[in-house]
Amino acid sequence: MINKKSESRFTTTLLLFFSSLLLLNTSCQKEEVKIEPFALAYPSYFPEPVYKSADNQLTMERFVLGKKLFFDRRLSSDGTISCASCHAQTHAFADHNVSFSAGVNGALGIRNSPTIVNMLWSKSFMWDGGVNHLEVFSVAPITHPDEMNETMANVVAKLNQDEEYQSLVKKAYGHSTVTDQAILKALTAYMVSIVSVNSKYDQVRQGKSSYSAEEKKGYELFKKHCASCHSEPLFTNGTFQNNGLDSVFTDLGRGKITLLSEDVGKFKVPTLRNSELTYPYMHDGRFWTLDQVLDHYSHGIQHSETLSPLVNQNLSLTGIEKKQLKAFLFTLTDYNLLNNPLFFE
Amino acid sequence: MKTQKIKLFSIVLLTVIGITSCKKEQVEEQTFGSVNVYLSHVWGMNNDPFELNVPLVHPMNGDTMTFTTFKYYVSNLQLKKKDGSWWKHPESYFLVDVSNPTSLKLNVSNIPTGDYTEFKYVLGVDSLRNVSGAQSGALSTTNAMFWSWNTGYIMLKAEGTSPQSSTGNFAFHLGGFSGTTNIVTTKSVVFDQPMTVSSGKTSGIYLIANPAKLFHANPLSNGTNIMMPGPKAVEMAGNFYGSVVFDYFTE
Repeated sequence: MINKKSESRFTTTLLLFFSSLLLLNTSCQKEEVKIEPFALAYPSYFPEPVYKSADNQLTMERFVLGKKLFFDRRLSSDGTISCASCHAQTHAFADHNVSFSAGVNGALGIRNSPTIVNMLWSKSFMWDGGVNHLEVFSVAPITHPDEMNETMANVVAKLNQDEEYQSLVKKAYGHSTVTDQAILKALTAYMVSIVSVNSKYDQVRQGKSSYSAEEKKGYELFKKHCASCHSEPLFTNGTFQNNGLDSVFTDLGRGKITLLSEDVGKFKVPTLRNSELTYPYMHDGRFWTLDQVLDHYSHGIQHSETLSPLVNQNLSLTGIEKKQLKAFLFTLTDYNLLNNPLFFE
Repeated sequence: MKTQKIKLFSIVLLTVIGITSCKKEQVEEQTFGSVNVYLSHVWGMNNDPFELNVPLVHPMNGDTMTFTTFKYYVSNLQLKKKDGSWWKHPESYFLVDVSNPTSLKLNVSNIPTGDYTEFKYVLGVDSLRNVSGAQSGALSTTNAMFWSWNTGYIMLKAEGTSPQSSTGNFAFHLGGFSGTTNIVTTKSVVFDQPMTVSSGKTSGIYLIANPAKLFHANPLSNGTNIMMPGPKAVEMAGNFYGSVVFDYFTE
């Protein structure tokens, strides 16, 4: 914690120097991209970001472009669905409490639309981890017939007819043609800025608040029973696990991607941050309440070849323990994010 | 603080370099030439013409196939200098599309003039670009040569119709860039005589590919669809990529 302030001041200076450097260099050419660093604030106990792109440094211009895209229904084939349709700030950037999200023409997918907070630290994307990079993540919902049902070529063609987009792309990336690369990088800039780092849990961790007796007991139970997969501070370790939902699998999960029998029935461990709001739960949205989830781990584990050794014993939690665990889980709700006007439409 | 000062100093230095690099300071006069790589396609061992939208009978398995799409990636073109070092074509990604004649000529420019002894190229898209996020040009997602749900480039797309298919259609999307499903293939050709790249002149390299080889071991009765990486994609891509041969070059 020493010199945290001067360190951050130095970082700012550094960023300013780099920006002027970029300005100088670009001034040799005709195009000028003004780099205004847009610093993401998160506590020091968070790990190094996974998303680092030398050519997509977060700037206000890129955030603004990404935000417009995030809310733009033209990304879907019939102009009815935007990213925000299924990733709403009011629901901690998950869908509006439905098991399966409705796409174009009411088509339903086969998996629950997860929260997209803290993707800055995500190593893979989708429940099965099939997407390996945040910049190409958006291609999946845009082109999936059960989601936005559009082609990337059409999106580019539609947005290129909009002068406002040309101007925003110019400001963000220095060229006025709307390209899929600019669209995808700007959406990434917007998504990485959605950080959920200021819940009561974080306040307590920073000494600014304290747990109630019930929350504290819940935290102890959490550390004992849940933390090996839902590791702090992201409340996921990003691995793929079979958490004993089924003994036979209709959705192969990770196995569909790796084609390995050892991965059948495994899905990405979801974050528990904001789980109070992101029901229903599991990859298929089968559980509507946290009680059902806790009941599952308590006495509902189904055995199969790929069952995670971390959950192969029912926890047999008492009613009081479940209540305590829930009290702790509620401390992960980030009202500061839910109320942050930066993300208002 | 000391390291900070050093960092600051190096930034100032970099800035100065940044400014001076704007000036033109060419000490040695390096001249450049260009090379065109021409792709042509034949069907079967008799080298019949390969055309889209025409029924073609596979010489080995007898399947009648009418191709509507035949596209594939060629990338990472390199030329070996006489001194043994390699010149690498920067941002070297090409989408060869049989329906688009201009895509069959890969123009490689800004090659330092001199004699070259070997040509190296990749069939497919190297693994790095499959894991590095949003790309542009030939690698743009607007080309629809990209799997969104299982990240990776569709390195070869062959689609069409056939009476031998129960659905009437066939579609082979081949890709895979890692482990046992990797189909990325590097090929090279050593020139009999060194190829001279000189300014104001364009040399030609000719490559001939035989799409019939794709089905050499896999007639349509073995399946009419591939939509993801896997062992069959590896076998089919291997057979087709093996068919790509260097013909000759002229100056």
